[in-house]
Amino acid sequence: MKGNYLGELEELILLTVGALFESAYGVAIMDEIERQTNRRLNISAVHSVLKRLEAKGFVKSEMGGATNERGGRRKRLFKLTSSGKKVLDASMQVRSHLYNQIPNMSFNFSGQ
Amino acid sequence: MKIQPPKWACRFLEWYCNPQLLEEIQGDVYELYQRRLANKGRSVADRKFVWEVLRFFRWSNIKRSKTTYHPSNNTAMLKNYLKVSWRSLVKNKGYTALNIAGLAVGICCFILISFYVEDELSYDRFHSQADQTYRVKEIFESDGVGERSASVPFPLAEALMTDYPSIVKNVVRFFNFQAPSVAVVNEENDQEFNESRLFFVDSTFFDIFDFKVLRGDIKTALSEPNSILLTESMAHKYFGDEEPLGKFLKLQGQENLKVTAIVEDTPLNAHFQFDFLVSFTTLKSFYDGQYPQSWYWNPCWTYLVLYKHRSPEDLEARFPEFVQKYFHQLIKDDVTLELQPLTDIHLHSDLDYEIQPNGNYANIRVFISIAIFVLLIACINFITLSTARAGKRAKEVGMRKAIGSHRNQLIKQFLIESLLLTVVAVGFALILLKVSLPFFNQLTEKSIAFNLLWNPLFVAGLVLLTFLIGIISGFYPAFVLSSFKAVKVLKSAQIGSNGVNFRKVLVVLQFSISIILIISAGTALKQLQLLRSNDTGFDQEHVLMIPVSRSPIAQHYEAYKNEVVRDASILSVTAVEEIIGAKHQVGNYQFEGNEESKPFPRLFIRHDFAKTFGVELVAGRDYSEDYPTDDTLALLVNEQLVKQQGWPSNEAAVGKKFRWFGDENGRKIVGVVKDFNFVSKHHPIRPLVLDLDLRDQAFDLFIKYMAVRISGQNVKASVARLEKVWKKNMPERPFDYFFLDENLKSLYKSEEKLSKVSVIFSGFAIFVACLGLFGLATFTAEQRKKEISIRKVLGGTVPHIVWLLTSNFSRLILIAFVISCPLAYWILNSWLSGFAYKIRIQPDVFMIAGAVALVVAVTTISYQAIRAAFTNPANVLKNE
Repeated sequence: MKGNYLGELEELILLTVGALFESAYGVAIMDEIERQTNRRLNISAVHSVLKRLEAKGFVKSEMGGATNERGGRRKRLFKLTSSGKKVLDASMQVRSHLYNQIPNMSFNFSGQ
Repeated sequence: MKIQPPKWACRFLEWYCNPQLLEEIQGDVYELYQRRLANKGRSVADRKFVWEVLRFFRWSNIKRSKTTYHPSNNTAMLKNYLKVSWRSLVKNKGYTALNIAGLAVGICCFILISFYVEDELSYDRFHSQADQTYRVKEIFESDGVGERSASVPFPLAEALMTDYPSIVKNVVRFFNFQAPSVAVVNEENDQEFNESRLFFVDSTFFDIFDFKVLRGDIKTALSEPNSILLTESMAHKYFGDEEPLGKFLKLQGQENLKVTAIVEDTPLNAHFQFDFLVSFTTLKSFYDGQYPQSWYWNPCWTYLVLYKHRSPEDLEARFPEFVQKYFHQLIKDDVTLELQPLTDIHLHSDLDYEIQPNGNYANIRVFISIAIFVLLIACINFITLSTARAGKRAKEVGMRKAIGSHRNQLIKQFLIESLLLTVVAVGFALILLKVSLPFFNQLTEKSIAFNLLWNPLFVAGLVLLTFLIGIISGFYPAFVLSSFKAVKVLKSAQIGSNGVNFRKVLVVLQFSISIILIISAGTALKQLQLLRSNDTGFDQEHVLMIPVSRSPIAQHYEAYKNEVVRDASILSVTAVEEIIGAKHQVGNYQFEGNEESKPFPRLFIRHDFAKTFGVELVAGRDYSEDYPTDDTLALLVNEQLVKQQGWPSNEAAVGKKFRWFGDENGRKIVGVVKDFNFVSKHHPIRPLVLDLDLRDQAFDLFIKYMAVRISGQNVKASVARLEKVWKKNMPERPFDYFFLDENLKSLYKSEEKLSKVSVIFSGFAIFVACLGLFGLATFTAEQRKKEISIRKVLGGTVPHIVWLLTSNFSRLILIAFVISCPLAYWILNSWLSGFAYKIRIQPDVFMIAGAVALVVAVTTISYQAIRAAFTNPANVLKNE
């Protein structure tokens, strides 16, 4: 199903939204990804992906309180929805399932 | 001071960004800017800031979608609006019923009239080449006297085809002997009738007109001489259940015609209706083996199809030269040929010798205006009732505003409410339509099917109409209701309903329209009466007309006449060319003092014309059997001709010489008859020549009817006598007759239709207006019930209170009356100016219309007023 397909960056950001729990907004997500994966994203890319995720119903958002560092502007805070959680679980399961099927031998080969 | 990012980039961002996304985007880029400013310095921060602003410049951030972050509650609100509307409609059943009834009647009238108009406009459009098809008309006039003929000479069609082959693609002629009817007999079944809808047509007929052929070969059906086509119902009439193809019908007791095809009955929206089509070549046997070659006699309706790229003007430009080349020496300077589009014939053609009476475009305009007026009155009902009762909804409006409703949303809500009401009214209107359509069809002599409604055009129209009515009638109330100030309406217990004056204006408008309609209907009726009245200058009562054209009567005429007048109830017998009072032909005469001959309206007659029709002689003598030369050497004219010739008196006219086809030879006017209306009263009386024609062959063409004056004592016996003697003389010919006065009534069919429709629909208009008035009166009585009770307690009498309530409204009706009189006068004056004979617009119609409106309105109001006046004050006041 196309609607449930999760791109690589989408999955990463979705995971980050989940991890940041209640304080996930544009810059924080960008920072967290850089911290954890050393990957530098442009803030506008983060915004588009968040918008896409919201349209797919994997995250929901609301405006938070005003902060000083933003010149009094509010943050839009993102939260993982249950369908977002479900899609992460599914993707995790696929990965671990595949991962577990890798025979030990292959490590040997790669070790040579 | 805090360092700020580059201003232009900020502004650019603010400019392109969707306002709903702006805050978070700005927030993020500012936050990053501040961080970089602290860590890496200003220039890096500025550069990165600009870069990010540019990176945000993408479609998803630019487009102004409202739904992205504010999931809409539109559908939820819509549901709420519908629910609240429904509740308020149901709660006020009385008002809702009034509104719906008014609108339903209005909409039904509107649809009925649109049906009528659609039908009138659809005439002849079903032919695939309708756009390129034209009829040739011949205008043959000198000094405005003569004829405007829908038919042209026999050879014209062929001459056009040979002379202009690059313009004229095809031509067809219609011919019917100019006879009111011809005899058709099925000898096998012994079925004999006089048929009036029989035409001889060229074999090109079906190349030009698209009528459905049910059986038989359309290509060859008209190519052989002595072929005849029947419509389905005629096939049934003559042959019953037998197969008619290949069988024979006898025409005029003379020619046997073979049935070659059966066609569908002519659609009613064709300007000519036929029952029989006979191949044109058959005619040759009636005219010594060839078609009549005369360029003077013009009996053929001629239709032509032009090539697609040619315009009618191309051909018309060549007509003057064509007329000079071909037309008879005597008349070629007085003849003009013109083309008229096939699709214009029904509504716009008003020529002499139309195949059958046409419609009238002016009537259509009148009908449309009536429909719009009735609808408008119904819409106004809605406006007055809902604004009057606005106070009742004030609390709701206040509440909605207090919890954040925008004015736009309130307007939307009330529009939805009026739309809902309109939709319900449309439903009822359709039911009404279904019920009333048969009556309407009868009234207008149409056969419009209810199914016409499902025509995509009408479906679209109906949807559009629903929206239009909903919005027109809902807009003002919505505007008023949504304008209430929340604080004010919530604070005060009662809100005075505003817009009282505006409502008064609307009521005046409604009643002005109604009164205009009533006055117009009354005037139309009076005009019809005038047209139909008997003061035509001849006596139309108790005159029997017997079609005799092309019958063997010629040999029997004298014997027949002498035998029937022996009966005391049969007063006199004559024979005439056309139906007196309806139609005439035209002949060329040259009177003393004229340089050359000119066309004059003419009727060929036989002896005893003046006696039979009660036409008075004002000078000279009548034709008389004592003068055997009267046939060729004498002439009767009417007073108008004397005037037109400038002769000093009627007596002076007697003895004036005249030439007929250049021949003088002692021909003189012998008498002058008093003017009479020899055609309908749509036209003034023109000069007329009454020409005696005693030749036997006159009955082939020039004498079409025998006219018999009977005493009227015992009509049945007289008719029986006439028929008996007829059968004795001509056993093989069906006997047929009609009464002159009844026939002449059909001349004014279009006026009759108009006055009937306007009477009925103005009735509807005032009915709908009264529904609204009733609603308003109910409301006022309710609003003032405390006042009324107190008045009663203090000694107010019932009449006093009724007067109190009715006088207000009566004043409005009087104002409406004053406004409508000049308007009606102006409208009617311009309508009547189209008639040669018209009634004088007199105050009585106006007074009656005003009185009717007032009485109806006061009756409506007084029901409520009396009810209010009789309520027990205790019941009202005890709650205080």
